[in-house]
Amino acid sequence: MLDTLKSIIRKSSIHMCLLNTGGCNGCDIEIIALLSPRYDLEQYGIYFHNNPREADVILVTGPVAEQWKENLERVYSKIPNPKIVIAVGACCLSGHLYDQKGSSVYPPLDKFIPVDASVPGCPPRPSEILQTILTVGPNAVAAKGRQKD
Amino acid sequence: MIIPIGPVHPALKEPLRLKLHTIGERVIDAEIDYGYVYRGIEKIMEGKTWQKSVYLAERVCGICSYIQTQTFTETFEKIAGEEVPLRAQFLRVITNELDRIQSHLLANSTYFKTIEHETLFMYMLSMREMIMDAIELLTGNRVHMAWNVVGGVRLDAKEVHLKSIVDILDKFESQYPKYPQMFENGPLLGLRSKEVGVMSKEDAIKARAAGPIARASQVIGDLRIDKPVYRDHFDFKVIWRDEGDNFARNMNRFDEVTESIKIIRQAIENLPEGNIRKKIDIPAGYADNRNEAPRGEVAYMIETNGNLIKNISIRTPSIMNIDACVKYMFKDVATVADALATYASVDPCIACTERVVIVDEKSGKTCEFDGIWNVKSVDLK
Repeated sequence: MLDTLKSIIRKSSIHMCLLNTGGCNGCDIEIIALLSPRYDLEQYGIYFHNNPREADVILVTGPVAEQWKENLERVYSKIPNPKIVIAVGACCLSGHLYDQKGSSVYPPLDKFIPVDASVPGCPPRPSEILQTILTVGPNAVAAKGRQKD
Repeated sequence: MIIPIGPVHPALKEPLRLKLHTIGERVIDAEIDYGYVYRGIEKIMEGKTWQKSVYLAERVCGICSYIQTQTFTETFEKIAGEEVPLRAQFLRVITNELDRIQSHLLANSTYFKTIEHETLFMYMLSMREMIMDAIELLTGNRVHMAWNVVGGVRLDAKEVHLKSIVDILDKFESQYPKYPQMFENGPLLGLRSKEVGVMSKEDAIKARAAGPIARASQVIGDLRIDKPVYRDHFDFKVIWRDEGDNFARNMNRFDEVTESIKIIRQAIENLPEGNIRKKIDIPAGYADNRNEAPRGEVAYMIETNGNLIKNISIRTPSIMNIDACVKYMFKDVATVADALATYASVDPCIACTERVVIVDEKSGKTCEFDGIWNVKSVDLK
């Protein structure tokens, strides 16, 4: 009973955190554009703040830079269960242009933390990011919450 | 007391560590840690052709991605000693100004979010979407436009597109003027931003601040007036203010948007006919080139052997602005919340370097860290 109630409530209240691991900002500003009245993230019950300790979904952008190699896991461990990781942009998936000789990045992201969904593109359009969050977010948050209990 | 902020923090969109030294809530000094987004772009570019590096230049920064490619390609044109066709120069001006508008609106929206004024934050973002539409119409992409090549621009603009851009600008201008007025006349917004984070003219010069941040502190410099295409064909004025506080920095950006719209209208009206691209043979050589990015001066120094890039150095404006913010604006800011608002008002776009400032907490003085071999000069009790 309590679990069902919890999962219903969790579906319509998702907290999001943005983690830039060394990208160029392009994906970040497309995520900020999601807050604008045109896309309006908050009508779906998704609240964007940058606090990993309260987040359900973290959006990771960028190839993993030197400083983030250890810190990614630390941030990931601070997130309360259930935790969903969405990799936004091509950098997270393959390193994109940065993964060449002479660089100091260590892609892909799933070497460090488990990734639930990914959005390719450099940068992906806001509507694509929104679609991914809505596809993965609510059900996964509810289902993962049930597993944990 | 030291208050650490970042690298992941509700107030910051990009990773950076601020350490605020406070007495009570009054900020006496601050330290800053860069290096969370270091990728080594300049190193990757070495030994590559310009066709491969132009994509990398675009990805130095996502917000002002356009001006990076323009400066990069103009440097190669300078090495070859040739000028691109006038139509291409005009198209570059249009895109540059559209990019400036969206960057300024985003910077102001971040400031309003930091001082918790959600209404203006939403207004700014909704205005920005119009400009993003115009950029997409012209170039085909929203953020990384891939618009410049050595010798001109990639695509020609059709009459229909230019007409719809003018329509978008008409709509934009009919709505826009009320937002600067809201900010200028709002009593609470004024309390929150006037005389907070003041930087004097002397400090701005000492810190090498650039762009709207320096212009808000009376350092009147805009590289656009030195550019031949801007100087000869466009009529615009350089916006500057004399207050030097958060209010001035935001108003400066608000007013620059209006000037940019004026430039775009002139460019579309007087757009010359002709080619958009010409073939340029690049000889071996060295050149440096500067341009006015939305945040200030961006400089590229490139040495090439005619085919491959031998050496490249990129200088972006944010690094000086963030340093100016930490060293001069944070002095005597009343609360930590105001310090964050001040930080947001300099439009930070995290570059990649590492600096250290050592603070003696009792006397509240700072001293430079000369390196580990000179550690005796610092009292490390």
